[in-house]
Amino acid sequence: MTLEAARLRTVWQVGLMTAGFLILVAISAASLYLGHRARTGSLWVTHTIEVESQIGVVQLQLQRAESAVRGFLLTQDKSYRTGFEQAEALIAPSISRLKELTQDNPVEQNNIATLEKLVKQRLQFFHAVIPDIDSGRIDQARAALMKSSQGDEMSHLLDIARDMRAEENRLFELRTEAADRSQALNVMVTVVGSGFIVLLAILSILLLRTSARARNRAEVRLRDINLNLESAVDERTVDLREANQEIQRFAYIVSHDLRSPLVNIMGFTSELEELRGDIFSRIARYSRAAADRPPPAASDGSVDELALAPEDQKLSEEFSEALGFIKSSIGKMDRLISAILKLTREGRREFNPVHLDMHALVQEITNSMTHQATEANAQINIEPLPNMVSDRLALEQIFSNLIENALKFLRNDIPGEISIRGRTKLGFAVYEVTDNGRGIDPNDHDRIFDLFRRAGTQDKPGQGIGLAHVRALVRRLGGSITVSSELDKGSTFTITLPAQWKLSTQGKSYG
Amino acid sequence: MGNPVKIVMIEDDEGHARLIERNIRRSGVNNDIIPFATGTEAVNYLFGADGTADQHKGQALLILLDLNLPDMTGIDILKRVKANATLKSAPVVVLTTTDDAHEIKRCYELGCNVYITKPVNYENFANAIRQLGLFFSVIQVPPVKA
Repeated sequence: MTLEAARLRTVWQVGLMTAGFLILVAISAASLYLGHRARTGSLWVTHTIEVESQIGVVQLQLQRAESAVRGFLLTQDKSYRTGFEQAEALIAPSISRLKELTQDNPVEQNNIATLEKLVKQRLQFFHAVIPDIDSGRIDQARAALMKSSQGDEMSHLLDIARDMRAEENRLFELRTEAADRSQALNVMVTVVGSGFIVLLAILSILLLRTSARARNRAEVRLRDINLNLESAVDERTVDLREANQEIQRFAYIVSHDLRSPLVNIMGFTSELEELRGDIFSRIARYSRAAADRPPPAASDGSVDELALAPEDQKLSEEFSEALGFIKSSIGKMDRLISAILKLTREGRREFNPVHLDMHALVQEITNSMTHQATEANAQINIEPLPNMVSDRLALEQIFSNLIENALKFLRNDIPGEISIRGRTKLGFAVYEVTDNGRGIDPNDHDRIFDLFRRAGTQDKPGQGIGLAHVRALVRRLGGSITVSSELDKGSTFTITLPAQWKLSTQGKSYG
Repeated sequence: MGNPVKIVMIEDDEGHARLIERNIRRSGVNNDIIPFATGTEAVNYLFGADGTADQHKGQALLILLDLNLPDMTGIDILKRVKANATLKSAPVVVLTTTDDAHEIKRCYELGCNVYITKPVNYENFANAIRQLGLFFSVIQVPPVKA
């Protein structure tokens, strides 16, 4: 999966999560609100019922009052009168209560006002009738009662009560409806919301699975690549090591096979020398015989130069000169081959890492070169050097070479000063060998490390293998060597080596 | 001196063989030199058809051996010679261009008597052979066990 796709997926996932969360919040809020509304609705419903009941109460009390009066009329029992008074006492508070209950409803308030008036009228009427009954004017009272029961008052009261009930019913219905709606809405919101959440959850899970699958695939691929990489590196390392070993063997074999004919050339050149001696001896003898001169006292076969005619002498000398050149060239070839052989042998030697006291090591080397130092009029100064774990012989060879070079290539006019410094840096030990000698032209900075190559004035012995050897060793140890120098301004060779030589990063033999 | 010492020279390079021979002669050694240019021929001569070297019983041999032979290594010949009852007392002088320390050690371990590196510097070579020749002319080479 590309980075872009992965990012998009993440965005989607976050979005879904947020949406789900928001929906949850919305549902909760909606639920709370609608629940509250439902409760309020219920309260209103209860209220409505209460009002209706209160209306009934008022009616009841009025009816009681009326019954009491009628009873009184019928029986003239004082208890009925008391009953009436009791009932009457209850009516006013009931009506106030009713007023209270319908405070917010102007329609009802009107109704109640009318009701109150009517009730008052009725009660007044009763109050008018009761003294009649008290005083025994029964018929009068009865007639009045009968007249009033046929009157408008009662039916008006009934109407009011009915209206009020109707009003309350209406409100009741409204409120029930509202409550139902709230409930329905609540349910719907919850269901829809839940549905959404489930949907989002499903989407999330799908996305997560895709993510997980993609990640698993990536992990598998990574593991494969790593394995491949490791095996590729191993292969390359093996290849490299084999290639290097082949080079080693090649160099070895070549040097050997080159040496063989060299032995012949040298050997037979010497034979030629002997033969030359014999030839020119005989020439000398013949010329003497021809010139009638006495034979020389010595007869060891050596050429009697004085006995030779000038032309013959010249021949002899040219012969010698030719042989001389051949011999010196062969000598040189032999030295070169020896150098190569030595290098290849070094390249195959196994390293043996030990803890090295570098200062002591360099001091030993310097001590062994005291003679050369004195001859070159040079002073070697060794500063504290960081210790390291590495191959002793290799380090000895490296420093020997560098210090020897430093002593060899000094300036003639000033006393030589060579100093060896060192420091550690990030797990590497860095050593510097500095001299104030003749320096190296920047153009030659790479050349000098090549095999059999030298630079500058060629007045000192050497075949140009020292630095090549040093570089080969340093590389095998996993380090590097650089030079910083200018003509007549001295040189500094800087060697960087891992402070702990590890077998894993370098091959046992040149690899 | 009993039986004259026969010098068996196993060397494939004609030039080297010639040089060795001339130097031996020049140092005054006149013993027979029997040259072989391949390992096979030398082995056939030394061990015979049956491989026992019985034909050399009672003979005094000196073996000059080059290690770089075309068909087998000189080490193998050295091993076989030193393993053979009849031949093992014959001194073996290894003459070769190799100066590998391992090789030298191995040769001595296998029982060679002298190891001379063929140097390119002819004088030393000649001297060495001359010394060898004088050496052999002075000491008694024990006859091969009868």
